[in-house]
Amino acid sequence: MDFILEYYFDFGLMRDEFGPVLDGFWYTLKLSIFAGILSLLWGLVLAVLRQLPGKAFMPVRALAIAYIDVFRGIPLLLVILLVSGFLGSAASPVGGEIIPREIGVPDWLGQPSPFWYGIIALTLTYGAYMAEVYRAGIEAVPRGQMEAARSLGMSHGESMRHVVVPQAVNKVIPPLLNDYIALMKDTSLVSFLGLIEVVQAGFDFQSETGNGSALVLGAILFLIITIPLARIVDRLIAKQQKKTGRGGETPPPQPTGLAGAGAPAA
Amino acid sequence: MNVDRSTALPGDPVNEDGSILKLEKVEKRFGHLEVLRGVDLEVRRGSVTCVIGPSGSGKSTLLRCINLLEPPTAGRITFEGQEITAKTATDQVNLVRRRIGMVFQQFNLFPHKSALENVCLAQETVLDRDAAEARSKAEALLARVGLGDKLNQYPDRLSGGQQQRVAIARALAMEPHVMLFDEVTSALDPELVKEVLDVMTELADEGMTMIVVTHEMGFARGVADEVMFMDEGQIVERGEPHEILANPKEERTKRFLGLVLEH
Repeated sequence: MDFILEYYFDFGLMRDEFGPVLDGFWYTLKLSIFAGILSLLWGLVLAVLRQLPGKAFMPVRALAIAYIDVFRGIPLLLVILLVSGFLGSAASPVGGEIIPREIGVPDWLGQPSPFWYGIIALTLTYGAYMAEVYRAGIEAVPRGQMEAARSLGMSHGESMRHVVVPQAVNKVIPPLLNDYIALMKDTSLVSFLGLIEVVQAGFDFQSETGNGSALVLGAILFLIITIPLARIVDRLIAKQQKKTGRGGETPPPQPTGLAGAGAPAA
Repeated sequence: MNVDRSTALPGDPVNEDGSILKLEKVEKRFGHLEVLRGVDLEVRRGSVTCVIGPSGSGKSTLLRCINLLEPPTAGRITFEGQEITAKTATDQVNLVRRRIGMVFQQFNLFPHKSALENVCLAQETVLDRDAAEARSKAEALLARVGLGDKLNQYPDRLSGGQQQRVAIARALAMEPHVMLFDEVTSALDPELVKEVLDVMTELADEGMTMIVVTHEMGFARGVADEVMFMDEGQIVERGEPHEILANPKEERTKRFLGLVLEH
């Protein structure tokens, strides 16, 4: 018992290491906010492309489906490594400098390039996950909604924008938040590119000292964010269920719990 | 047919034979299922046509073909002098739908919008009316269907009859030239049917061109200029309401009316 307290809950060490771990957590937050917003948008774009009607848009639908299948089916770490490798070398003389250096090795907003590689990779992967969540939401909107909008003379695009998508998004906010929690935890994989986010900061300290308290501190920082988020998800679901119980509309697609959020099913 | 009470808008085009809407040999197949098997129909401006028939006879599909929610598999539909079943551009389809309003059995109000917003949305997106103009039009229409005090209610706070009246106002806001009603009282509790039929009767009296799929024989008898009995994707019999409802000639019509009217 003493061993556990000493090696994982040494509050003195936690206080001493608070600075570096907090710096790491700041990266984690920035990564998850940027990548979270971008994947929410990219996922919606993919989901809408996937729902385009008619024969003419068949190739677009096929591409969107292929994209989603590929990025849901490969590990995020692999995407991170591919993105950094591709962009880095494409901007270097080895790769023939086919893209400008500012894009291949970005340092926008004073952030190092691994940070941006991480955001691109997280967005590519989580956009695919979220596209599937949006799709479930779009499909849960009764067909009559689209028909009513079309019967008023609205185009497919106008009907999606004003009628279907707002209702779909409303239905899938809880599962989207779940994916966001998963994304936030997966930002730690960007440490493979040398970015010292919260997990890496804790691990560095453990490597030096053999003491895991800094890692536990990191875990606590995560939980401060993720547990309230999980409670919000629960509350939103309870609210929706109450509403569907009364109103008799189609129930929203049920998200997986927080336990399943770490590894969204491919 | 009662043409003189029509509010025929001068200048609005009609078909060569004077009808506003004409269907010729319209067919609709879903895979191997033949839902419409050659339907001919002619509608004059200001007339009310009621379509009756057993469920599954193709009545709803007929309406959905007219505003191209389901494009017909074969046949011609001419609306205000223009063939709308020709290979038309999407814009034109949207234009046709704007002229042909539709009210559905399940209301299909937008649940995330208030009654007022339901009536405003397409005015603003399709007709480019500014917000104030759309709003005053919507207020007037909602008052006309007896919902002037429910402007800001959301659909889930309205009864079925109220929702259906909002849906009628929403369709009217586009100033359609023809209105299609698809069993609009079938999903309503019995005591709410009348308030919706009253609105429709009033609309007919004002000269709106209407095609009404209905099981309300009283409405058909009192309001229709023409009643059509449909079965198995075809129009079996048509004529003035008192002929069809009181003295049907076809055996299938007699059997159907026998089942419906004995209640």
